[in-house]
Amino acid sequence: MSTAPAATGSGGRATAARPRAARYLRPWWRGRTAVALAFLLPSLVALTLLRLLPGASAVWGSLHHTSLLSGEAFVGLANYADLFANADFRNALGVTLLFTLVVNPLQVAVSVGLAVLYTRRRMAGGKVWRALVILPVATPPAVSAVIWSVIFRPEGGLANALLAAVGLPPQGYLTSPDQALASIIVLLSWIGVGYWMLFLIAGINDIPAELYEAAELDGASPLRAFLHVTLPMLRRPLSFVLVAATVSNLLVFAPVQILTGGGPEGSTNLLMFDIYNRAYALGDMGRAQAEVVVLVAVTIVIVAVQFRMLRSED
Amino acid sequence: MRKRQRVLASAAGAATLALVAAACSSGSEGGVDAAIQFLGPEDPAYFEPLIEAFEAEHEGLTVEYTQVPFDQYNSTVQQRLTAEDDSIDVYAVDQPRVPWMAAQGLLEELPEYEEAGRAATTEGQYSTGIHDGRLWALPVWNSTQMMFVNQDALDEAGVEAPGTDPADRWTWERTVEAAEAAQDAGTEWGLLMEQTEYYYQLQPLAESLGGGSGVVGDDMLEQDVSNAEWVQAMEWYGATFEDGLSPRGVGSFETSPLFASGDVAFFVGGPWDLGVFADSDVDWTVAPLPYFEGGEQVTPSGSWSWGINPASPNKDGAKAFLEFAAIDPEGNLASTERQTIIPANTEAAAAYLPRVDELAGERSAGAADLIAHEVENTAVVRPVSVGYAQFEEVMNTAFADIRNGSDPGPRLEQAGGQVEAAWEPLR
Repeated sequence: MSTAPAATGSGGRATAARPRAARYLRPWWRGRTAVALAFLLPSLVALTLLRLLPGASAVWGSLHHTSLLSGEAFVGLANYADLFANADFRNALGVTLLFTLVVNPLQVAVSVGLAVLYTRRRMAGGKVWRALVILPVATPPAVSAVIWSVIFRPEGGLANALLAAVGLPPQGYLTSPDQALASIIVLLSWIGVGYWMLFLIAGINDIPAELYEAAELDGASPLRAFLHVTLPMLRRPLSFVLVAATVSNLLVFAPVQILTGGGPEGSTNLLMFDIYNRAYALGDMGRAQAEVVVLVAVTIVIVAVQFRMLRSED
Repeated sequence: MRKRQRVLASAAGAATLALVAAACSSGSEGGVDAAIQFLGPEDPAYFEPLIEAFEAEHEGLTVEYTQVPFDQYNSTVQQRLTAEDDSIDVYAVDQPRVPWMAAQGLLEELPEYEEAGRAATTEGQYSTGIHDGRLWALPVWNSTQMMFVNQDALDEAGVEAPGTDPADRWTWERTVEAAEAAQDAGTEWGLLMEQTEYYYQLQPLAESLGGGSGVVGDDMLEQDVSNAEWVQAMEWYGATFEDGLSPRGVGSFETSPLFASGDVAFFVGGPWDLGVFADSDVDWTVAPLPYFEGGEQVTPSGSWSWGINPASPNKDGAKAFLEFAAIDPEGNLASTERQTIIPANTEAAAAYLPRVDELAGERSAGAADLIAHEVENTAVVRPVSVGYAQFEEVMNTAFADIRNGSDPGPRLEQAGGQVEAAWEPLR
């Protein structure tokens, strides 16, 4: 409370020391606005070149249809109508929504659990365990995919060997339409949980210890302390993690391309892979760009709902 | 304004200018003096003899090769060339995709090589580079498929192995019986295709039963992939996985190590596997590709052609390299020095094939005659259609699903619908 008036006062004294007219005659490009603009310029240019222009290009392209015989033609919303009439696209949309509904809560819940475990509880070899959880983040996605393709191999894979050890029958994993999406979710969580956990650990470390001491004095159990101290105080980092994980998972591509190619029977055909396949395997750029616009719209809607649900009361 | 602020603000402005300049630049060094940029899916070591020979004959010209993994090759090339990427001069194009690439304007027309190109190879191979009556790519290699037989596995099972003579070609039915016997005698897998989900290797199954290529019509833009013969062929193929003859979790081109380690009784692969299996301790032989009882004897054919990127800034150099690799017998032969593949150049093939028999001593004996017979008598071509790229993508996905247990009839019906939807923008 004390710094703001002092700063204002300082600024006031500096102004009073100069002729008042000089301040108004100074050209705009020598003022604070120009400096702020100059500092912002690289980001604004990058934002325009790398985000806004490609985005606008996708919207424009989605309104056009390219045919080998008739060339390019403006078709309005016909690409969107064709997309929603296409069973493969509807399946991809459904798979993506199901995937989003499962993978994000799962990753965030496990990340919170691990973050609490590694900060609030002292455990033997805690740092080693934490490093092991974080390690997959540093593994390139292609390498992760190859590792898990060996683990999930129906014949002689590690996962089925473990099941056999406890007397359970072998499973199809990536080759089964009923298990492939779940297998991809496990792989992505193996990579993602450690990364999101880092943000939550930082958030938990920022919670004042006095709050836990007060809760303990009031006789709160660890579960009540978690529910009434940790979770409310983690609201901001948790919002970030949930939104960032959602966006990241909506853009998943490499594991699907390497491991399943969207199959079996379209069960892992996430929108990102479907877009790539439509654009570069089938060569249908107009509808692929319409699908990009749909994916961005889906992302914005999901993120807006999440922000609303996690909006702080203050 | 403080001086330091102004300096920093100026630096930010300069950085912006640099960013814009970088974004606007082409990023290519181009020009006739730059190295010829060559893109393909093969191991870079395969091209060292070819590049060395080319550079020795063409003073001042150099070639740089970049490999893109086979699984991502077609889509990566499509993506880069559509974006008018001028950092590619020469690139490999799967032969049935030539019409699609040419129709999109992603291949440079090669009228100056029509005469020499036709004289250098067979008429069938030359025709793979033609679209709309014009030449767009030159064939570099040809291929066929054969069956590799694990003699140890069949000895254990007490089964007499097939010979190399095409007159004694086995049927698929007999092959499955022998494969099951080998599994009963202790070999882990009975039968394995090298390319478990690729049209190239699976097309002959349907063709042998009379199901055709799956593409029909005057303009070759009508699908016929769910006829009774196709369904029958795919039911047989799906059953090899369902019955445990083949493993489901091993993808295309990941299969050869299983045969090389002795875990497979019968392996269907290409001439390139002769070299790959030469280092194996398994006692193997080669046999003709089987056919269905009462059906036709057919084998796959075709391979890679090479073409020139229309956006290339170094077309003269690119043409010199393409001419050397495809039309000059010496260059074409050099492209096969480090890999086992049939040269498309007739003169180079005549010099090359006798070497095939000696690749793996006794084990590869008879391979040269078998390859020559199959190329001449049983080869079927993949459909030459402007929609082949879309057709192949859809079919490969369907094959993967059938391998994983999908019912072939409905899945092929679905694939037919997907092919039609994918072809709609081409009309």
